[in-house]
Amino acid sequence: MRDLLKECIEEESGLVELRYHHKENRSFFAEKGRIESSALRKRSGVGVRVLHNGTWGFASTSEITKASIQNAMRVAKHAAEISSSLRSEKIPSLPKANFAIGNFIGEGISDFKNKTVEEKLELVLSIQEKAQKTSSLLQSVGCGYSEIYEEKAIVTSDGADSFFSMVRPEFRVNAVANQNGKLESGNESIGVTGGWDCLFRDKNPSQISEDACKTAIDLLSSELPQGGLATVILSPSIVGLLVHEAIGHTVEADFVLAGSVANGKIGTRVGSDLVSLCDSGVSEYLPGAGGTIPVDDEGVIPEKTMIIENGILKSYLHNRETAERFQTKPTGSARAWEYSDVPLIRMRNTFLLPGNSSLEEMIAGTKDGYFLDGPKNGQADATGEFMFAVQKAYRIQNGKITSLLKGVTVSGLAFDVLQSVDMVSKEFKWDLGSGHCGKGQPAKVDAGGPYVRAKVLLGGN
Amino acid sequence: MDKSSLQTKISDQRNLLDGLLKKAKSNGIDQVEIFSSYGFSQDVTLEKSDLNSCTATEENMFGIRVIEKGSQGFITTNHLPTLWDSILEARSLARSQTTPDVDLVLPEPRSLENRPSQYDSSIDSLDLSHLVKIAKEALDWRKNQYPLVSIDSGEMTISKGFKLIMSTTGVFGAELGADISASVMGMAINGDDIGSFDYDSATANDLVTFEKRWKLAFENFGDKCMGALGARTIPSFKGKILLPPDAVYSFFLGSFMGALNGTSIRKGKSKMQGKVGTKVASEKLSIWEDPTLDQFSGTTAFDREGQPTKKQPVLTNGILETYFYNTYEAKKAGRKESNGFATGGAQSLPGCGPRQLQIAPGSSNKNDFYKLNEKVLYINRISGTNDGPSGDFSGVIKGGYLIDKGEKIPIKEAQVVGNVYSALNQIEAISKEGELLGESYFVPYMLLDGFSITGIADGN
Repeated sequence: MRDLLKECIEEESGLVELRYHHKENRSFFAEKGRIESSALRKRSGVGVRVLHNGTWGFASTSEITKASIQNAMRVAKHAAEISSSLRSEKIPSLPKANFAIGNFIGEGISDFKNKTVEEKLELVLSIQEKAQKTSSLLQSVGCGYSEIYEEKAIVTSDGADSFFSMVRPEFRVNAVANQNGKLESGNESIGVTGGWDCLFRDKNPSQISEDACKTAIDLLSSELPQGGLATVILSPSIVGLLVHEAIGHTVEADFVLAGSVANGKIGTRVGSDLVSLCDSGVSEYLPGAGGTIPVDDEGVIPEKTMIIENGILKSYLHNRETAERFQTKPTGSARAWEYSDVPLIRMRNTFLLPGNSSLEEMIAGTKDGYFLDGPKNGQADATGEFMFAVQKAYRIQNGKITSLLKGVTVSGLAFDVLQSVDMVSKEFKWDLGSGHCGKGQPAKVDAGGPYVRAKVLLGGN
Repeated sequence: MDKSSLQTKISDQRNLLDGLLKKAKSNGIDQVEIFSSYGFSQDVTLEKSDLNSCTATEENMFGIRVIEKGSQGFITTNHLPTLWDSILEARSLARSQTTPDVDLVLPEPRSLENRPSQYDSSIDSLDLSHLVKIAKEALDWRKNQYPLVSIDSGEMTISKGFKLIMSTTGVFGAELGADISASVMGMAINGDDIGSFDYDSATANDLVTFEKRWKLAFENFGDKCMGALGARTIPSFKGKILLPPDAVYSFFLGSFMGALNGTSIRKGKSKMQGKVGTKVASEKLSIWEDPTLDQFSGTTAFDREGQPTKKQPVLTNGILETYFYNTYEAKKAGRKESNGFATGGAQSLPGCGPRQLQIAPGSSNKNDFYKLNEKVLYINRISGTNDGPSGDFSGVIKGGYLIDKGEKIPIKEAQVVGNVYSALNQIEAISKEGELLGESYFVPYMLLDGFSITGIADGN
């Protein structure tokens, strides 16, 4: 594939970026004692981007032939020509980057290829059937397994030349409990970059299922907490949501240029001394983080980017264009979901660095607060105002967890919340590898960190 | 790509797929369904209040469903030359299963009603240069009318394409479609005061209609962004909320509609199970499905399974009339056939849901909602979450303001908590006026009472 792409651009003088992308998404889902769906989605093509007259033109083709790719190059160039006059800030030539050259084969691919469809169907069906029998309160238990296998080749006229592949399996269980017409749900999911040994390294499928069922049943007897400003201890998954939604999006350089709250704050204090935040294309500390990429979609080797160091904002996340604008180097953060998508600046694996406390100390040191666990969804705003939803809020009174309350929405201003961080634990976990981040197009990301104590606004009665 | 070439493409593809279906039957594969979705689009994107890129994309996706002895396999592919291999692969997926269900069958063909064509040939005279002109106008509007507004992103698009469904049982449906659309997202910035994010969009089948709608949508966007500046925190309170059409649907009625999905009903995951014919909402609320309306983007003669769509009631004066069924869920519910609510496309198995709901306007004048002699919280948008089975929802209020004695106070850092099923009975008034969301769903404004609002208590 690399040879075909190189052949297509060998006579090009301007900047041309060709990205071949083949994606297979298998998914299996069982509920009510039967396989509800068994599906395979395959999509292949080449995305073509040209920088011409100071602006971008993009086209794509699902026909992977020299003629079709070169036709897409002409279409992309034409698109750039037509629109160039409108662009006020022309893009100069892009900075050189640490381009990937060679083949990069991801972890777990042989595992993925050796597992049969029957094994995957048996996994979801057996876990579903077993879970359904554990309690008469369970109205329904659904169990799903999916995997995305991808191959990409990226060749640019200024030096990138790589092929890489990866597989991202995901396992999820959702349970609904019913007591006298009151319905509550519990969800557990795990997603990694790698094989099944990595996917089930912390909990096996049965344990994941048991946790989801227990949450649904426990929530039947829970009530909403009191709303208002509260001291909270966030689990690594919730810390992951916080750093992804509240900070990560505001430091994406395209967002910064549009006027996000992080604009102009490099070198200033945005968090307490205990806060150090990174985003990396590599799975730091533990293998398998769900947003791991060997090469970004501009052909650049992703770096570990220190965003906040001891509370001071140090860097934004860049693609090649914004790196030129900020006179810095690309961070390897350009990502596209499909071959027909234009690469955008996206996070990869975002994490808070661990501290020195233990979870036990943090709970014991909290007189009145909540322990939040079980991420649902989250969003952030240009103002840095974020929200995320949690499944479970455990009440902490006088240093002890006393009761389970219904999880609600947590919100706050990103940098205010980081300033309020007063305890950070030693433990570390990646815990946001399932699902997707949305920014016009989806992206597989991960996030996590230690347990953290901070102050947030809790929605409630 | 124009209307004529698309019609030729449909005709060619119909012949090709017909040949594949015959080949499948002769190879003992009796139940095969192919859903083809072809799209050609040209886009100009904006970023950071400037042009970002100009793109042209074209793709044909095929969704292939094979059912064998009550088991189903599904393949999506964009590779036309290997469709036969994909049929065999879908059969292999079906064969690897051990939990057959006799109710899982492809539907039989049924006659389809005629619908107004949603392809206006005048769109064929438009190209990328028109989109560049539209983008330039939008940037000028921003500069001249809303200099404090920053456009984070925007998109102007011409889309053309078709959908085609054929099966070995004889189902056939094909429709062309084309539209021009634009969207914008951003916020107002005044020094350190950064307003809440907002967005708006417009779509039409022809340029003249589009231009009118787009100007209004852009001004609406600009006004909403500017209105979010100077936001203050508020104390917590319980009381009335006023929802504009977008908030009514995205965070309230949308969840309720999800609870009418035939799959959730069958699995007992919906509180609406067993409620057809009973009162589940305020009698002020009536909702119906209408896929027959000209110039509406959800208008179509057939659903994801090629079954006929029709105008039909969903909720009348608060009484639930129906659930949404595809063929499988209809059979599980003891019905002979679906009621035309199969959703999805080439990239998904048929689901269940509505496509063009119309919510009955009420009798109130929306301007009167702003003159009430008590506190009302206007919720422009909610950034939050909802839980389907329980109906609980909560979220941060975005671009909202407190209406207090005629004064509109922009607010920030406040949350609302509620429950969809309770909210259905908390409707105090519905406006006569409304908006067409996505040029498809008609939704009015609604005033609801009894909500918990959590704010930062000192109100500074």
